[in-house]
Amino acid sequence: MSTSVSEPQAATAIRIADVCKNYGDYQVLKNINAEVARGEVVVICGPSGSGKSTLIRTVNRLEEINGGGISFEGQDIHAPMRASELNKLRSRIGFVFQSFNLFPHLSVVENVSMSPIRVKGVSPATAHDKALKLLDRVGLADKANSYPGQLSGGQQQRVAIARALAMEPPVMLFDEPTSALDPEMVGEVLSVMKSLAAEGMTMLCVTHEMGFARDVADRIWFIDAGEILETAPPEEFFKNPRHPRAQRFLADLRH
Amino acid sequence: MIQDFITIIQDYWLLLLIGQYPNGPLGGLANTLILSALAIALAFPVSILMALARLSKWWFLRWPMTALVYVTRGVPLLMLILWCYFVIPLWTGADVPSFLIMLVTLVIYQGAFLSEVVRAGIVSLGQGQMDAARALGHGYMGAMRFVILPQALYNMIPSMISTFVSTIKDTTLGYVINVPDLTFAASQVNNQLLTQPFQVFLILAVVYYILCWSLTYVANSVERRIARRRAGPRNARLPAEAAPLKTITEQL
Ligand SMILES: Nc1ncnc2c1ncn2[C@@H]1O[C@H](COP(=O)(O)OP(=O)(O)OP(=O)(O)O)[C@@H](O)[C@H]1O
Ligand SMILES: [Mg+2]
Repeated sequence: MSTSVSEPQAATAIRIADVCKNYGDYQVLKNINAEVARGEVVVICGPSGSGKSTLIRTVNRLEEINGGGISFEGQDIHAPMRASELNKLRSRIGFVFQSFNLFPHLSVVENVSMSPIRVKGVSPATAHDKALKLLDRVGLADKANSYPGQLSGGQQQRVAIARALAMEPPVMLFDEPTSALDPEMVGEVLSVMKSLAAEGMTMLCVTHEMGFARDVADRIWFIDAGEILETAPPEEFFKNPRHPRAQRFLADLRH
Repeated sequence: MIQDFITIIQDYWLLLLIGQYPNGPLGGLANTLILSALAIALAFPVSILMALARLSKWWFLRWPMTALVYVTRGVPLLMLILWCYFVIPLWTGADVPSFLIMLVTLVIYQGAFLSEVVRAGIVSLGQGQMDAARALGHGYMGAMRFVILPQALYNMIPSMISTFVSTIKDTTLGYVINVPDLTFAASQVNNQLLTQPFQVFLILAVVYYILCWSLTYVANSVERRIARRRAGPRNARLPAEAAPLKTITEQL
């Protein structure tokens, strides 16, 4: 298999090749190699501090890397390039944050329609209509004119997903989208994610929701101390994890 | 006593209002208002540029601006005025009107103070908002314009008001370089009357008080209107947002 990161080709959405990242002397990511196929749902799991957030943030270059490369639809996203080019690439990778990060000064519908208008140059009327459709899809059509501060956590996260979808990205990244939520709100966000997966969206999700992983993921990446120790389909991963640290991680989760 | 005030105002209202104009330069209250308005209108965008320069990743923007802000904040305004008064004509070789020198000095001085407020407002938003904007494909400037600054500036309204009020008060220092403003006119009146300094300068104080108070009033009502539009009181996040506001106001 070639490790070149910049060949255009169809089946691979994201290819991570030999990625290294350090903060000072501390190496957070150690030679990560992995691929996400188009239409695939990958769940990244692993203990706290293992580098999951760092890894997923390198995929849309919110974090820089110190070695290796990451290709997105055949384009090396960490190659030297003009800011405008990087912005264009980024706009095609949806990202959902643990802490929602909605824009509190904009209404819900403005949150969803602003970037299509400002980044893609979509007309305000078209963007507004599209935003209302997306809000309907995440079950929040009636909240279009509310402000983020008036919504519950689960509602905010669903708006954040709609906001990311408004850019029509072929790939969505999720960094612990339900970890900041009260337990009773986790389900509503997961069900939106499930419906996305069912529609064939390519997804890379960091999550501790093992039920979601079992039901929805095509593959699980288990990461510990900056290394991917195991990649396996969920049945296999949950039934007989091969790596001792994966076994321990799963045992800890069950308690 | 009351009669004294009425007489002074009756005799000198035109001088206090517009100075020697049209026989001399425009002065008096009119000039004070123009100077304040221009200083505020220019210091505001200048402070945003200064704050952005101080937050820039490029050292050649960051270092000189940091130095300028530190020096400006650490020097009495009067020193800065005198310094500009003597140095600007030397540099430019031209006879720069004192009004312009005062304006430039005020813009730099208030811009430096305000830039710290703006910078604090940007930093206190945290990385999350910038990350979210970048992830959606906004460039740095787009993120600043549509996401960061609208929030930072809104949060800074109370501090901005107090800076604007102090700008109005600081225009009085133009007196030392003969800027023909309201203070200048009042001291002319005082020189002609000689016996009623208390009355003359009380009138002056009252006018400045009304000016500053009405600015505060207008700005407060603008702030309330924005808060209402954003449905403030029911907003669960409000306490968290209000806290940094208060701290920064206190720092001023
Ligand atoms: N800006 C930073 N500077 C220095 N160290 C950092 C920085 N960001 C993260 N780290 C360190 O890198 C390691 C990986 O962090 P990361 O946030 O990727 O972990 P994580 O797997 O997402 O953990 P969690 O489950 O708690 O979110 C941690 O040890 C963390 O302390
Ligand atoms: Mg994390």
